[in-house]
Amino acid sequence: MDWLGQKRAEMLMQVLLVASAVVAFLVGYVRADFQLMLLVYAGGVVLTALVTVPNWPFYNRNPLKWLDAAEAERHPRPQVSAAPAAGGKKRSGKNK
Amino acid sequence: MHSFGHRANAVATFAVTILAAICFAASFSDNFNTPTPTASVKILNLNWFQKEANGNDEVSMTLNISADLSSLFTWNTKQVFVFVAAEYETPQNALNQVSLWDGIIPAKEHAKFLIHTTNKYRFIDQGSNLKGKEFNLTMHWHIMPKTGKMFADKIVMTGYRLPELYR
Repeated sequence: MDWLGQKRAEMLMQVLLVASAVVAFLVGYVRADFQLMLLVYAGGVVLTALVTVPNWPFYNRNPLKWLDAAEAERHPRPQVSAAPAAGGKKRSGKNK
Repeated sequence: MHSFGHRANAVATFAVTILAAICFAASFSDNFNTPTPTASVKILNLNWFQKEANGNDEVSMTLNISADLSSLFTWNTKQVFVFVAAEYETPQNALNQVSLWDGIIPAKEHAKFLIHTTNKYRFIDQGSNLKGKEFNLTMHWHIMPKTGKMFADKIVMTGYRLPELYR
């Protein structure tokens, strides 16, 4: 699941659960049936779990673009142990 | 980390939080019910009235209890406990309550009833104060909800009097 997919899953979970709670309460109140309210809500929870828990393809439409491995080799990490700490900081400042 | 287990846990905890909220809402909706219960108790016969060996007065009587408590029931009502108590004043106590009959109403369909019975529990005074005593018969009830607060109320019926003599 990519970053946008995570955000979407979180949002969907909250919206679906609150919506099913509202529907369940209204149905239960209108029909004057407490058990029906619980059943409708339980259905909503199961539906929410099915939609938001598995890693559906829908959540992977914006994959992260990692740098190529060759790119990382061209810019090696500065060796901290070779130079004094203060010198290392100055050098990184110049590079920016 | 945003794994399968993490998301399943998030759904479960949030679902239970919301469940608490709708239970609270269901309990709150009980406040919009304005019940109009009716009750009446007739004393059909005074079977006997005597002083026990230990000096306490005891009465046995036959009662006709009728009530319509169906308006107490809402969609959030589990059951209603109802009891009829004799209430009177003595020099020692401002209020004496003696339960004579009780019952549990499990559903609205049973909330309208007419019962012909002798007192289920013994009507004994702690002393000898019942001769010529004026007393009330009070129907008390406790509404037990499926979720939330328990309500209690009563109907007081006045004007009953015990005889001046044992019989």
